Amino acid sequence: MSEPLSRIPGGMRYYFGPEAQLRRQVEATAMTIFDGWSYEEITTPTVDYYSLFELGMGQAEAQRAFRFTDLDGRMLALRPDVTSAAARAAATLFAERERPLRLCYALPVFRQQPQSHAEWRRESTQMGCELIGANTKVADLEVLLIAAELLRSLEFDGGYAITLNDVGIFNGVAERLALDPLRREEMRQLIDVRNAADLELFLTPDTSPEERQAFAQLTQLSGKRETLAAARRVISNDQSLAALDRLEGLWDVVELLGLSDSFEIDLGDVSRLDYYTGLTFKIYVNGIGVRVGSGGRYDGLTANFGKDEPAVGFVLDLDELTDVLGARAMKDTVARQTLATPSGITDGDPATLFRGVLDRRAKGERVLLDLISI
Amino acid sequence: MPELTIAVAKGRLQADALALLARAGAVVSSAALSSRRLALEDESGRYRFIFVKPSDVPVYVEHGIADCGVVGRDVLLESETDLLQPLTLDIARCRIVVAARTGTSLRGLGMLRVATKYPRLAAAHFGAQGRPAEIIELSGSVELAPVLGLADCIVDLVETGATLLENGLEEIEVIGESTARLVVNRASYQLKAAAVATLIAALEVAKAQVSNLD
Repeated sequence: MSEPLSRIPGGMRYYFGPEAQLRRQVEATAMTIFDGWSYEEITTPTVDYYSLFELGMGQAEAQRAFRFTDLDGRMLALRPDVTSAAARAAATLFAERERPLRLCYALPVFRQQPQSHAEWRRESTQMGCELIGANTKVADLEVLLIAAELLRSLEFDGGYAITLNDVGIFNGVAERLALDPLRREEMRQLIDVRNAADLELFLTPDTSPEERQAFAQLTQLSGKRETLAAARRVISNDQSLAALDRLEGLWDVVELLGLSDSFEIDLGDVSRLDYYTGLTFKIYVNGIGVRVGSGGRYDGLTANFGKDEPAVGFVLDLDELTDVLGARAMKDTVARQTLATPSGITDGDPATLFRGVLDRRAKGERVLLDLISI
Repeated sequence: MPELTIAVAKGRLQADALALLARAGAVVSSAALSSRRLALEDESGRYRFIFVKPSDVPVYVEHGIADCGVVGRDVLLESETDLLQPLTLDIARCRIVVAARTGTSLRGLGMLRVATKYPRLAAAHFGAQGRPAEIIELSGSVELAPVLGLADCIVDLVETGATLLENGLEEIEVIGESTARLVVNRASYQLKAAAVATLIAALEVAKAQVSNLD
């Protein structure tokens, strides 16, 4: 092959120096916080059956995985997410354990097809947690507050937003309009890109002009508590109203905790509705144009593995976060993260030399051996 | 420090877009415009404008380098980028069409050769019709392709139809309408919510004023 050796596949990269160090620190921060909320670390297999991810993520998402075959011909995949295997473990390996189950991880995931032009990576590290076996408001809040604590600990204070929605709101409207799956997906996409003009056109055959204008507002409903009242003025079906009540219940607590600056309600966020069953949320931080995390309630998932129980969780993208933090650290130029000055060690025969070195190491000092002049 | 960076597609829609933005309170002085600078601030200092190739607008906005952009729907359909499109601006209106040499029929052909600047859009269109098509990507003067025999038809943007006519081509089918859109980065939409909402509201008012004038 004439391929130069220097070339690496698209969407892959090296990490080294301060950046590699920063990644480790961010990961350690996350794992310490998960541990602080009594989450147990899990490492799932890097290679697993492709069918696992089809069940866990849905076919459309799973198809983005790197795939290859096992010796017996079964299709394997490089792990494109962690949640699928965690859900399977909950339903099988941990079936007998007491509930709720709290699992966390920081693991690389691989996607042959990147998510978008701006999210070009094909290997990225997900830091996440899953709370399985509880479907209360308190469980939802626990997960949201862990996410908020993480972002605060990484000093994104004031520069982050967690946007909340509940899939019941869209599902209620879609059901009320009795849309077939194709039209339902088309409506979801129009709301997702906040395209009110085309949404009104799309709704024309099924609705009265008043209804149409009302539903088109769905695309623009984002903000704080007032968003919920605005939504109640345009939506009247029971499923959507119940979802709005659930959101309001969460918002009440967020407000009482004094965190409403960092949270937003965004009824236009309707991505991956087939996967989530209740609360959904997205995480954005200043300094990067793509979301750095997402999560929500996925009560249907573990049923795919034989044990039907509620679950809620989120993932944060380590690489996107360190991109922002790295750029900020460079701006600061404060050498907060730099290594301690190494102690120079010279002369003496090797045994004497290393006796000194080992002493210093025992004290936890950083050493740097000069291999040229010794 | 400007609140928002707005990427504007150079060329066809630039003048109309700037006129609409000026009506919405984002005025670029003519002195600044006549300079060759590609990034400049408006008079209020609230907005920074960058002028880029139309197909680069979605790129700048998706990466969050620009918070907002003004670009034609044709470019958005082709780029398949993940952007919010909260507002259509009724400027730069045109059609995306299939055109061929006057008098030819495409019906009998088992395989269509299609010359276009919009390969994804063209592939999606003929794919949806179940017609096999070989897409020939060109970067300009697409109207020449059927005339010289490179392709059976073209998929292109048409404003008046004059260029088609002059080259002996006719419209066979309209794939869709295209007007300029305001696009917004997903993170900016949340993190700069107030500034984005202000811009959208101002543009809506400006749009209504213009349509009343017409």
